[in-house]
Amino acid sequence: MKKIDKKIIFIVIIMALFGIVMIYSASSIWAEYRYQDAFKFVKAQSIFFILGLFIMFFLAKIDYKIYSKKANMILFVCFLLLVLVLIPGIGSIRNGSRSWFGLGGFGIQPSEFAKIGLIIYVAKYLEKNNRIMQDIKKGVLPLILVIGVFFLLIMLEPDFGTAMVIVLTLVIMIFISGVKLSFFVKVGLLGLLGIVILIIIAPYRMMRIVAFLNPWSDPLGSGYQIIQSLYAIGPGGILGQGFLKSRQKQFYLPEPQTDFIFSIISEEFGFLGILIIAFFFAYLYYRIIKTSLKSPSLFGKYLAFGLGTGIIVQALLNIAVVIGLLPVTGVTLPFFSYGGSSLLVSLISMGIILNISKNN
Amino acid sequence: MFYNNIHTRIRYVFLVVLICLIICIAKVFYIQVFSYQKLNTLADALWSRKLPIMADRGEIIDRNGKVLATNITTTSLVVIPNQIKDKELTAQKLSEILGTDYDDMLKHVSKKTSIERVHPEGRQLSYEVAEKIDNLKLDGVYLVKESKRYYPYNNLLSHVLGYVGIDNQGLSGLELYYNDYLTGEDGSIKYFSDGKGHKLELAEVYEAPTSGITLQLTIDLDLQLAVENELENAIQKYEADGAIALAMNPKTGEILAMASRPSFDPNNYQDYNTEIINRNLPIWMTFEPGSTFKIITLTAALEEKTINLFEGTFHDSGSVNVDGATIHCWKHGGHGTQTYLEVVENSCNPGFVNIGFTLGTDKLMEYINEFGFGKKTGIDLNGEAKGILFKKEKMGPVETATTAFGQGVSVTPIQQIRAVSAAINGGYLYTPYIVKNFLESETKSLIKAINPTKEKKIISDETSSLVRFALENVVAKGSGHNAYIENYRIGGKTGTAQTVENGIYSSSKYILSFVGFMPADDPEIVVYVAIQNAKNVVQYGGTVSAPIAKNIFKSAIDIFDIKPSKDVIPKEYTWLDTKYVILPDVVNMNLDEAKKALKGFKLEYSGNGNTVIYESPKPGSYVKETSTITLMLN
Repeated sequence: MKKIDKKIIFIVIIMALFGIVMIYSASSIWAEYRYQDAFKFVKAQSIFFILGLFIMFFLAKIDYKIYSKKANMILFVCFLLLVLVLIPGIGSIRNGSRSWFGLGGFGIQPSEFAKIGLIIYVAKYLEKNNRIMQDIKKGVLPLILVIGVFFLLIMLEPDFGTAMVIVLTLVIMIFISGVKLSFFVKVGLLGLLGIVILIIIAPYRMMRIVAFLNPWSDPLGSGYQIIQSLYAIGPGGILGQGFLKSRQKQFYLPEPQTDFIFSIISEEFGFLGILIIAFFFAYLYYRIIKTSLKSPSLFGKYLAFGLGTGIIVQALLNIAVVIGLLPVTGVTLPFFSYGGSSLLVSLISMGIILNISKNN
Repeated sequence: MFYNNIHTRIRYVFLVVLICLIICIAKVFYIQVFSYQKLNTLADALWSRKLPIMADRGEIIDRNGKVLATNITTTSLVVIPNQIKDKELTAQKLSEILGTDYDDMLKHVSKKTSIERVHPEGRQLSYEVAEKIDNLKLDGVYLVKESKRYYPYNNLLSHVLGYVGIDNQGLSGLELYYNDYLTGEDGSIKYFSDGKGHKLELAEVYEAPTSGITLQLTIDLDLQLAVENELENAIQKYEADGAIALAMNPKTGEILAMASRPSFDPNNYQDYNTEIINRNLPIWMTFEPGSTFKIITLTAALEEKTINLFEGTFHDSGSVNVDGATIHCWKHGGHGTQTYLEVVENSCNPGFVNIGFTLGTDKLMEYINEFGFGKKTGIDLNGEAKGILFKKEKMGPVETATTAFGQGVSVTPIQQIRAVSAAINGGYLYTPYIVKNFLESETKSLIKAINPTKEKKIISDETSSLVRFALENVVAKGSGHNAYIENYRIGGKTGTAQTVENGIYSSSKYILSFVGFMPADDPEIVVYVAIQNAKNVVQYGGTVSAPIAKNIFKSAIDIFDIKPSKDVIPKEYTWLDTKYVILPDVVNMNLDEAKKALKGFKLEYSGNGNTVIYESPKPGSYVKETSTITLMLN
């Protein structure tokens, strides 16, 4: 038995702490204005961070093979939660989607937890059926069906961003299981065809795409957020405006502590800050991939890879959106953005990965 | 083997993830480095709000630096609606002080705009009102400097200066013509605000306004004052409908004075009829010049040598028949046999018909064109007229005859003074101009000087000096004698033209004009005067306009320090005139001898001696026969 991967613990704690500092910088003015408490978001995030750390260290001790046994049950609980959250009165609406359980002032997002549940389930499925994965009908299709159900449930909230992260992560997991490349090419072409058909049916979607390519075509509507984000990133320059000196957080960027925290980091620390953030994510992912490659069990490989990829996919999606490479979808930047569920789930993932690394 | 397959694909995924991350970083680099300028400028515009500070308009000064148009500093009310918490209270207080409608003010302070100027009721506030507002110390209420145009001499030079609107934009005259020069660049106080429009605790940036360029005119304020005064008197005395006066330097084309009646006060231009404001008569009004136009006919004939001023004679029977039409001389019964010099002195119409015919239609019209009639002079003012000439190909003998003595053509005063200047300055046609220099507003240092622009030489120096001689005789001996000033050489020509009303000549309304220059041997100033529809007076230019020109000349003598001349042509007297004699020199004579020499004069003495040591006026000058002579005795 090897030792736990301390480098992962180290990098995760640094990222989360940096995140809390940036949440203070980004949110204090908004929090002061809205709640008369500049530290409101910092306090909440810190509580989740400490809680998350405990969970992470706890899970690092729990043998990951237990998830394989409990995979179906975990998925079923996730399914139940996703159904419950859609019921008015139980689930509460935030930013236009019914995706929250209010829990004594804090919010829990079931779709975040479903992400882990699905990754565990898919990891187990791929381990068990690795002989038949070459057979699309017998191996891949049933899995696609399960994923499709969850995708639909999340889209009912609707939470397009999280749904995208989950589907992308699971598809990548299926990809590494050895399914023929031609299958993905076909699915890709099908998807492209679908998009074309959707545009032909409703040409306004083309406008959306144009608006994202050139946000200045509709500066007060669909282009507003991305323009405000670019106004933060651009003036940041190489070295940034300096810590706490962001101007775009002064009510220009809506809720800068969540989805657009990357913009505020760019504004205050410039390109240099972005290089450091990118390095953190690349290094973390590298350590996780290493853990996955070294894992003797197939389930461990899939699980570590899936959990790590889930985080990196979400990070890339978030960054691509705020810098204008993708249309606005609304996902958080793992470890940095404000959001209890997001941070908890990220730390839970890390806990599981740490245990896998321990068993290598 | 199977694991290898998985491991390979995991590595591929890692590679793709890294590439995606690098693409993102590259994009961030692009945004922060290549789009930096553009985004920073755009974002700066988003973050910053500007309180405007109005620039001073450039001053307008006369040729000696005396101020004709300046600015007075007032304040203007500006509100930033986002910074106003209690809109009702603010609106109520402001409307109370300004005495305006509460609902109106509420609209201003609630407007969805970053910055709102309270227009027009909050513009150009007096000090007292501004102080009251300032004392309230209301949030989001600002008083910014605003300058208001001010013309210290009110009606003086009003048509030339023009006036400005509420936003200090030039609307007529030089204010309009040189608006781009006079307009300064507004400054601002730039402060930074958050997304809700609240002021942030960041340093304010002050951008100082730049004042407009100062215009220095060719106008001489003192002469202009004298001219305005003369026109005012004329209007009072003759109950005239209108009056025009122009003074120009014939050697450069500089306009020294330009005035007309009716005039207006540009400080309160709203109180006047737009026709009065917009018509700058000296350049806008066209009318038959009458006899002043004969100068052009004379000049052409002298240059072409078709007449001999001294030896040629013409017999005037009182009228002349041209192609069946009878043209009368203004003097009933005619002037009899005259030399051509006398024809000029008498302003004899049949004589000028004769001169016109010696030239022929083509030559006459060629000179009229060369002297600049029928087209704009190019003076730096808007609203200039061209005038109307006969078309050469449609001219018969009658048209040629009337043109020769100034009827049937229509010209502007500025064309006339310019043409006469060319006739007497050696033959150069200058473009008249009013702005002499562009000066820097603070230091008054020269930015650009305007040089006189002259066209080609039209006539020879000899011709020009003959014209001067002839016109000097007109003043000394002929119809222009009312412009005569003792000891000064003045040349000139009178003009009396019937006004055209509804296409026919009016039998009672005349424009009485005079154009003259001084000193006649080397002219420094040309003066043109026209009085429209003078009442209760003999309708001759010599009676009404020549005395006005004389007074203007007298002022010019003092202002420009013009020296008396030696070889003055003595004035010829009519029974109406007082006689002038040369004052004998009695200095160094004893008292008795002096009394004998000064027989006929009234004498005053100063001192008790027996020898004359000083005589006033100076010996040798022309004095009235019975005037008082002061002798200083030893």
